[in-house]
Amino acid sequence: MNGPMNGLERILAAARFQPTDRVPFVPQLFGHAAATAGVRLADYLRDGRLLAECQLRERESYGGDAVFAFTDFGIEAEALGAQLKYYDSQYPDIVVPALAPPDDAARLAPPDPAAAGRLPEVVRAVGLLRAALGDGACVAGAIAGPMTLATQLYGTETALFLAVDDPARFGRALDLAAATALSFGAAQLAAGAHAMVIFDPAASPAVVPAEFFRARLQPRLTRLVAGLRAAGAPLIWLNVAGPTAPILPHYAEIGADIATFDYYVDAATAQRLLPRTCLAGNLKSLDFLAPAAPIGPPVAALIRSFADRGGFILSSGCEIPPEADGAALRALADAAGAETRTCRG
Amino acid sequence: MPALSAAAFDPLIAALLAGDHAAALAETHRLRAAGAGAEAIVTAGLETAMGRLDEKCTVEQFNLLEIMLVGRAVSVVVHELYPEGVLPETGRATFVIATLEGDVHDLGKNIVRTVLLGKGYRVVDLGRDCPVDALAAAAEREHARAVLVSGLISPIVPQVRRVRPALAARGLGRVAVVAGGAALKQLAPADLDVDYVAETAFDGARYLDSLVAKETAA
Repeated sequence: MNGPMNGLERILAAARFQPTDRVPFVPQLFGHAAATAGVRLADYLRDGRLLAECQLRERESYGGDAVFAFTDFGIEAEALGAQLKYYDSQYPDIVVPALAPPDDAARLAPPDPAAAGRLPEVVRAVGLLRAALGDGACVAGAIAGPMTLATQLYGTETALFLAVDDPARFGRALDLAAATALSFGAAQLAAGAHAMVIFDPAASPAVVPAEFFRARLQPRLTRLVAGLRAAGAPLIWLNVAGPTAPILPHYAEIGADIATFDYYVDAATAQRLLPRTCLAGNLKSLDFLAPAAPIGPPVAALIRSFADRGGFILSSGCEIPPEADGAALRALADAAGAETRTCRG
Repeated sequence: MPALSAAAFDPLIAALLAGDHAAALAETHRLRAAGAGAEAIVTAGLETAMGRLDEKCTVEQFNLLEIMLVGRAVSVVVHELYPEGVLPETGRATFVIATLEGDVHDLGKNIVRTVLLGKGYRVVDLGRDCPVDALAAAAEREHARAVLVSGLISPIVPQVRRVRPALAARGLGRVAVVAGGAALKQLAPADLDVDYVAETAFDGARYLDSLVAKETAA
């Protein structure tokens, strides 16, 4: 290691448990970039150029080692026929799901990332971000995991009941979701994404039992990761929020390079459950809405807890919301920068 | 007809806890045929099942799918016992529940409603996307002991902070305010200006149980 590393080098090294000049800093800032730039979230989510510009500005403001071409959890469902309602300052809601309760997902085909809905805008954003940053920082693409898209296709309540009442039909929704994720992810990789983040909040043990994850979701996630790898993904990041301790051990079998752990899981437990997978976490996202205490001490403690192990990215356990306080984020960035110790691999 | 033993309700309790709504309905029919009244089925069946679920549902073990299945089974039994859709006045406290304006996610709220109904409380559900003023008006009209607000998304936080002032404006300062849901539970009661932030539906129900028990004892 000679001299300071750039953001991409830092994240790649952490993912490989190699030494880094400092701990990579990757707060999950998505729609917050629109707020920082003073643009409507509804515009940010529908315009790839605007999204890219805002993400670059956000990185200048807070100094993260990655940028995210993530929009919202409705984007794939919209591309498959769902109707969304957009807002100025919050994420869209699905007002008409793509599938009615009696429908079978087999009647749908994965949407074309070059033409369907807003998918091309995300692909465009990835390309613009990569053109602007080259290999100087990590350009992260984003896809919804199979469980999350399946719940978006039917609506959460309908989907969860279907998972129990008609497992075969729900399985076809999961298969469509996985195929959509692979196709959309491959398009983002072709556009220049260094990392592919699989966001699957509906796979959390807060939503479905760990046994459901192991039997129904893990096989599909494993195939998805293999497919993304074959499509050239240098890094694959599995991002599930909530109390994930019962499912974390399976991430290594799934093949993820980076695993999010949320504030429900302490650092020691996460390290024990995933000894050879890079961990990203676990700051509490909503602490940045109304900070009650200085962020520096907990950040320093978190970084110290990984000092001997390496394989760590300082991040939040899930998205830091668009309305998060800018001063609190600057304090986080300062605290992250102050902790310049090298992580050993 | 002699009163049924507690063991007679075990199959119903087992069906409810398994989330098997068809079996729960069949057991309800069997109990009614054996002479059990609706109130006994609520008390010895539904409330007992909810109590056992409460014991099982730690934060680590609480998951939406299993709770929804139990909730569906409870709803099927309640509908069978009270086709008009409401439990009779039992003298227990009334709570008003809503997802506030700007948030259309109401699964969490529906689970809380089911848990409280299962415990025999009266619950007035104002649905989702509910204005704060409508919530306060309902609390006054229904003589509520507490209002419960559920929030999945963080933009709802400013709305939650408006609830207590809206209640106070109607002279309802003694009405407790309880918050829950994925976003709200990450914040402290002081951040939200509420009395309690529930980690799960059962955690919230326990808080309300203690609130009501204190007043009953006083």
